[in-house]
Amino acid sequence: MFITVIQALSEGFLETLKLFAVTLVGALPLGLVISFGSMSRFTPLRWLSRFVVWVFRGTPLMLQLIIIFYVPGFVLPQNPWAISGGRFWAAAVAFIINYACYFSEIYRGGIEGVPKGQQEAGQVLGMTKSQIFFKVTLLQMIKRIVPPMSNEIITLVKDTSIARIISLQELIYAGYAFLKGSHGYSGLIWPLFFTGVYYLAFTGLLTLLFARIEKKMRYFGG
Amino acid sequence: MAVLQVENIQKNFGKVEVLKGIDFAVEKGEVLSIIGSSGSGKTTLLRCLNFLETPQEGRITVNGETLFDAADSHTLSDAAIRLNRLHFGLVFQQFNLFPQYTVKRNITLAEGLLAKERIKKEGSYNGYTDYREALAAIDQKAERLLAEVGLSDKQDSFPCQLSGGQQQRVAIARALSMEPDVLCFDEPTSALDPELTGEVLRVIRELKAAGRTMIIVTHEIEFARDVSDTVMFMDGGVVAEIGSPEQVIGNPQNSRTREFLARFNER
Repeated sequence: MFITVIQALSEGFLETLKLFAVTLVGALPLGLVISFGSMSRFTPLRWLSRFVVWVFRGTPLMLQLIIIFYVPGFVLPQNPWAISGGRFWAAAVAFIINYACYFSEIYRGGIEGVPKGQQEAGQVLGMTKSQIFFKVTLLQMIKRIVPPMSNEIITLVKDTSIARIISLQELIYAGYAFLKGSHGYSGLIWPLFFTGVYYLAFTGLLTLLFARIEKKMRYFGG
Repeated sequence: MAVLQVENIQKNFGKVEVLKGIDFAVEKGEVLSIIGSSGSGKTTLLRCLNFLETPQEGRITVNGETLFDAADSHTLSDAAIRLNRLHFGLVFQQFNLFPQYTVKRNITLAEGLLAKERIKKEGSYNGYTDYREALAAIDQKAERLLAEVGLSDKQDSFPCQLSGGQQQRVAIARALSMEPDVLCFDEPTSALDPELTGEVLRVIRELKAAGRTMIIVTHEIEFARDVSDTVMFMDGGVVAEIGSPEQVIGNPQNSRTREFLARFNER
């Protein structure tokens, strides 16, 4: 029995990991783009970015998942999620947009937290805007955003379980299945509780990783 | 001929007129000190010269080339402004070194990027067609500049490991790395403990001896008297008095200059 449960949970965990990784890969750069939008001097773009952030931070991720998964089927001639792995990609889209909005605010805080003098020092040395961003601001921003980002990323690990609402077979789904009946067992509660071990192990690993990154950047004071 | 010619610079922030028509010229190798109370527009003037602020009116000419003319929009494009900045260097009150880079990389960063760009676009930079060779030359220059400011042994340190005076000397070397026609200082010792100002002022004196053209905004009146060829007293966004240090500091004609210096001597 134990082996069966571990196998099923591990499969669910793999799905959780996949959603986690795809969300990060999509949301980290998209968040930067949105943060540039919300800092833009072009007012319509700034308003649009801030509107998007408001909507996605202001409504439950669960609701966003439901809308993104079901609504295209109603309004489009062909349901884009009616492919193999469609559930996963619907969840990924919702997670990426939602998390990009949170990340964008962290980025904005990080960029605005770098002293103006840094940018000006680059300017008077004849550096271009993009040189200043990539060579001067970026690393100082990263140093500033590691603590809030680690918070957000650890939250993401656990938020992946919300994808259960559109029946993505992630870790909680896999644990809960033994309660409802699956693999010849039903009424088993411990597999659901046991999923906590997976989450703890993974977030523990991430915590160590972030501590390392912070330590690596301790060499400069700014 | 004047290296720098500034004509009728006017700058307002909203309704506040900070500069109300500034004119002056600086000869090659001349040291101009700008004194005046806070809010008189000294720093804003320096920022206009370095194109960190855009004046509403006026003209800035360097070596006969008009870099900025408020009436000519060609001189206002991002690309033009970026090239213009290379004529000026600016040393900030707060040093503004890049904390994540070593002392040496602080000095070589900007020129290295410029060399890379020029070699890619135009095929060569300062006669070098190979980026690595150009970089080696830039590296050597940085070592020379560090020797000039007396910090050869600190080239691999990070800014946070240096004292304020040392950081400011690195900032001076960094500003010199782009070989500006005019080197500007914005209250270079105001953020330093009194016992650290000496080493920075000594470096500025050596630069004068080496024939650098400099504009220094400062509250160190004695230093200004000693190092300057010309002293300019600003008050309320205008040049109230300009002339030799003996004249402006030693025997001021303008009543506001006299008041300012009297307040200064009380301390």
